[in-house]
Amino acid sequence: MTRHHPDSLMLMEYSAGNLSEPHALCIRLHLDKCAHCRSRVDALDSLGAVMMEQQSQVSVSESTFDSILARIDSEPAPQPTPRTPPRSPLSKLLGDDLDGLPWKRQLRDVSVLDITDRFPGQKDQVILQKLCAGGKAPAHTHRGEETTLVLQGAFSDNRGVFNQWDFVVLGQEDEHKPVALEGDDCITLSVLSAPLKLTGTFGRLLNPFIR
Amino acid sequence: MMNNTSAHAVKERPVTTLDQKPSRAEGRKDPWSQLLEKVGKHQDRQAYHALFEHFGPQIKYYAMANGMSSHAEELVQEVFVSIWRRSCLYDWRKAAASTWIFTIARNQRIDMLRKMKRTSAEIQVETEDLWQIPGDNEDEPVTSLHRLMSERRVRDSLRHLPEEQITVIAKVYMEQKSHQMVADELDIPLGTVKSRVRLALNKLKVILQDQNV
Ligand SMILES: [Zn+2]
Repeated sequence: MTRHHPDSLMLMEYSAGNLSEPHALCIRLHLDKCAHCRSRVDALDSLGAVMMEQQSQVSVSESTFDSILARIDSEPAPQPTPRTPPRSPLSKLLGDDLDGLPWKRQLRDVSVLDITDRFPGQKDQVILQKLCAGGKAPAHTHRGEETTLVLQGAFSDNRGVFNQWDFVVLGQEDEHKPVALEGDDCITLSVLSAPLKLTGTFGRLLNPFIR
Repeated sequence: MMNNTSAHAVKERPVTTLDQKPSRAEGRKDPWSQLLEKVGKHQDRQAYHALFEHFGPQIKYYAMANGMSSHAEELVQEVFVSIWRRSCLYDWRKAAASTWIFTIARNQRIDMLRKMKRTSAEIQVETEDLWQIPGDNEDEPVTSLHRLMSERRVRDSLRHLPEEQITVIAKVYMEQKSHQMVADELDIPLGTVKSRVRLALNKLKVILQDQNV
């Protein structure tokens, strides 16, 4: 049961198509599991449609329509084929075995995998973090904004418990000390707009930017 | 790059003319959704052309407003080819035609920009894996009344919004400006932009329950 959702402003940026690719991925993965936010995005998409409708007068030439017809005539007619169940964007990107990824262990309880290179041409840093079941991460704050989606397991911090597919954005002011719940390793997808700031002794080790 | 068009996007917003457009009635198909369904079921070219006449200029303007003037007709083409290909999947119970077409235009715009910047080998995540078209997910139950009503509700309540709120929303949707960029452009604090958007969303009732974490 998902309880932590993106806020409406971020969903609006998503609906408008303004988010960076890694941020959009976090939202998309959350939407796939959260009917509540899907219906919020539906409403925002409607807002987009109404905004698009209010254009000033421009005209499109009929020759454009002719070109469109020429293109669709050169293709086979669309068939309402029964679709195979779509593969999740996450499995497409990372495969189906999250545990089998080439994790880099950074602390007793913490492993990290930087997947920024999967998103070329953009500035955000994208990392997977794994906190072993029952494990503790050192306290840290965030120099910039960090968007996190729980992919597996659950963790808790001073704000509460974050379960699978929960969504959280942490800013500069948020210091936290996440602890993974027992039972399953906790894997999160994080998009960082700037490097983490260190507070504890082990912060340096956790921080994937300072090596 | 976007000076002229952005000025238009803000000033010439004929909110009152919304009334004259076909509006999506509760639980009933609006004319555009009926046309789109005809395209999907029968490859009806007359219906397709009517959609082109209505939505073509909107999509062209959409491209111009976000700085793609030199690719505007190209975007119209891409969107309409995509509409043709996908129309068999269209389900009016899942989205109004205009909402569905907006999401296709948004995705094609994003896709076009991505392909201009990168080679296809560099693109590891497809645009549609990031931005979903409503109704693409077949597991999605059909349908909530909320979903059917949302566009009509948005349209109705938009008339009552102050211009400054509409301006901010228009810049986010039509000019692809982030809230931060809107703040910079209008020379107002980011917090002001955010509060205008929140006020607008509250009035538009698109927030079911906003749970800030
Ligand atoms: Zn949600």
